[in-house]
Amino acid sequence: MQEEQRLHELDIGEIATIREIQSAQLPAKFFELGFFPGSKIQIKHKAPFNGPICVSILDNNALVAIRRTEAQHITTTSLS
Amino acid sequence: MEQTVIALLGNPNVGKTSLFNRLTKLHQKVGNYPGITVEKREGTVQANGKNYRLIDLPGTYTLFPSSLDEEVVFRTLTEKDNSIKPQLTVVVTEPSTIKRGIVLYQQARDLGLPAIFVVNMMDEVQSKGIEIDFERLETYLQTKVYQTNARNGKGISRLIEAFEQQPGFYRSTFEVPSSYHAALQEAKALFPLATEYLTWQFLAQEQVSYLTPEIQDQLAAIRARHQLVPAAMQKEETLIRHQEVERNIPLILKQSDSNHSNTTYRIDRLLLHPFFGYVIFFGLLFLIFQAIFSWSGPLMDWIDQIFGDLTAYLEATLPEGPLSALFTEGIVAGIGGIVIFLPQIVVLFLFLSLMEESGYMSRVVFLMDRWLRPFGLNGKSVIPLMSGAACAIPAVMSARNIENPKERLLTILVTPFMTCSARLPIYVVLIGLVIPEQYFLGFNLQGIALFVMYLLGIIGALGSAWLLNKVIKSVRSTFLIFELPTYKTPDWKNMLLTVWEKASGFLFQAGKIILMISIILWVLGSFGPTREFYQAEEIVQQNYPELNTEQLENHVASYQLEHSFLGYLGQGIEPFVRPLGYDWKMGIGLISSFAAREVFVGTMAVVYSMGGDVDVDDDNEKNTLLAQMRAEINANTGEPAYNLASGVSLLLFYAFAMQCMATIAIVRKETGSWKWTAIQTLFMTGLAYVVALLAYQILK
Repeated sequence: MQEEQRLHELDIGEIATIREIQSAQLPAKFFELGFFPGSKIQIKHKAPFNGPICVSILDNNALVAIRRTEAQHITTTSLS
Repeated sequence: MEQTVIALLGNPNVGKTSLFNRLTKLHQKVGNYPGITVEKREGTVQANGKNYRLIDLPGTYTLFPSSLDEEVVFRTLTEKDNSIKPQLTVVVTEPSTIKRGIVLYQQARDLGLPAIFVVNMMDEVQSKGIEIDFERLETYLQTKVYQTNARNGKGISRLIEAFEQQPGFYRSTFEVPSSYHAALQEAKALFPLATEYLTWQFLAQEQVSYLTPEIQDQLAAIRARHQLVPAAMQKEETLIRHQEVERNIPLILKQSDSNHSNTTYRIDRLLLHPFFGYVIFFGLLFLIFQAIFSWSGPLMDWIDQIFGDLTAYLEATLPEGPLSALFTEGIVAGIGGIVIFLPQIVVLFLFLSLMEESGYMSRVVFLMDRWLRPFGLNGKSVIPLMSGAACAIPAVMSARNIENPKERLLTILVTPFMTCSARLPIYVVLIGLVIPEQYFLGFNLQGIALFVMYLLGIIGALGSAWLLNKVIKSVRSTFLIFELPTYKTPDWKNMLLTVWEKASGFLFQAGKIILMISIILWVLGSFGPTREFYQAEEIVQQNYPELNTEQLENHVASYQLEHSFLGYLGQGIEPFVRPLGYDWKMGIGLISSFAAREVFVGTMAVVYSMGGDVDVDDDNEKNTLLAQMRAEINANTGEPAYNLASGVSLLLFYAFAMQCMATIAIVRKETGSWKWTAIQTLFMTGLAYVVALLAYQILK
């Protein structure tokens, strides 16, 4: 079984599948932009000093940025 | 004539506005949505022997609103009695994010809206290695699908022909999960006429702005009874829809997994670099300000020349009299004083819209979020703050896409601290008066002073955001999520149109106020309550019999001013401004500046009996106004009216005070609250007063 990692713990370039969004606090907008269980993502950039994380939603072909605080609520399974 | 209303609906960054511009051929106007104050872009299309009203809705990912922009979309599409409820909805997408477009389209159809589907940016199909089976797509969507390329106009005329289309019956692919059926049945009783999906939308939204409070309460009661959480319902719907699309899309869309966004990635590696990304951003900022000050120079001189000539011509041709003076010295000179900023504003907006159109702006949001968060702001606050350097009015409006109400409010509240172009002429005059033209470590002192003023604007904005952040309670938890679009060559037409809209909006907005202020000032200065005003000439002649004609005229004018309504007004507020080091004449300048700061220089010129046609950028004229101001003695202290202490105090006052009626009006509109507007005005002006007071008392 692959180990589970939170989205902010993934390294740049890593590809992963989203497992679960662990907070009811995250608004539906996260789902709409592609952060839902099962969707494949790749970490592209990270802003310095724990700034936002830029993620490529591979199915949607879109680059989306979220804050680290929200990334902590997203668990993933690394594929790389 | 009954017009067919057509709405363009789509995700951000699909080229919807370019398409809108193509369709309307720029027959368009910007207004407000009825009842709400979000900017509405509307245009007309004449085709098929008909007149169509085309509405360009703000870009949205879903019909569930999470920002003010998105609320407008939902309201326009669903509110029954709104005058722009569309007869046809055109859902616009682009090839690479077509799935999200399909979800939006299906939501629209489920609401019962007749809709057609457009795939725009067809030129990107090849470069991105995408293949679309349009026949299958049409079957799946149960509507006609049109292909366009808004950049070169391909497919536009076919799309216009399609405005006559009446899409047939739509069989929904979305079913409300059975766990919600009981609640939905209860909600249906509240909306007997609505489609099931609309009822579901009402139930799944925390608040629907246009429903009556009673209905809202009943909806809330249903949610409470069934323990429904709106956000969870929205997520469930999104998930169901995405899974459904995901099942069908492989037959319709084929994508070779090649390097579709490689260029963007390569550029981002540099522009989002943890170190060089910032170097480039600040370098760009530096370039923008360089451009604002150096490129606009010649144009500003040219405008100045034209208005100077115009004033001279009017003075020569119009019959002499108070009304002509009002016209030439008040109105024409006042308008000239505002037109002169136009080049700077155009240059700034040119850069801003270039950043927006190319896709760079969202990178700035990415870079800056971390640094703005401690102040209670959001990466998206960068755009209003930067635009604030030109003019607070469009800047405040651009805060609309910030989802969190608190962060949006904070951004609106602090944006007017940024040094807008209306402050510039005042700074130039005052710095010229009180800061010696010397060099310090090889830098021009006056230049340093101006730089410090800009810095103060930023410090004022961030500092008060930090303070207000402590005071204001947050209603919703803060979050940030935004898309970084692929880089694109800007659509120049689009860009120029945006710049034109912003610049002309500023010009007319400010022009109206200048016109009003000039007239009020003129009336107040041309009439007086007492005998002294009307018999000024005799009184002055008695007191100073030795004056020659010219000196006499000057003395009479200033004696008259002192005893005019304006003079009494200035003397009335003198007790308040004396501790700051100002006399009653400066008080008048201050009063008139509360309408708009840019009238200060003109007012001072009027007050110092020179006539209003003084222009700061003309060296000769400037020297005479400067000379006059330099020679002016403060009647209270006996010292020069503009010495270091009072000058610095005045500079600080202008840096912080809320002196712009147009901004106050726009803040009221955008926040929808008199309370916050009043708090902002009082906070800024109070801060200005305290800081100016301290500065004067320490320096004097």
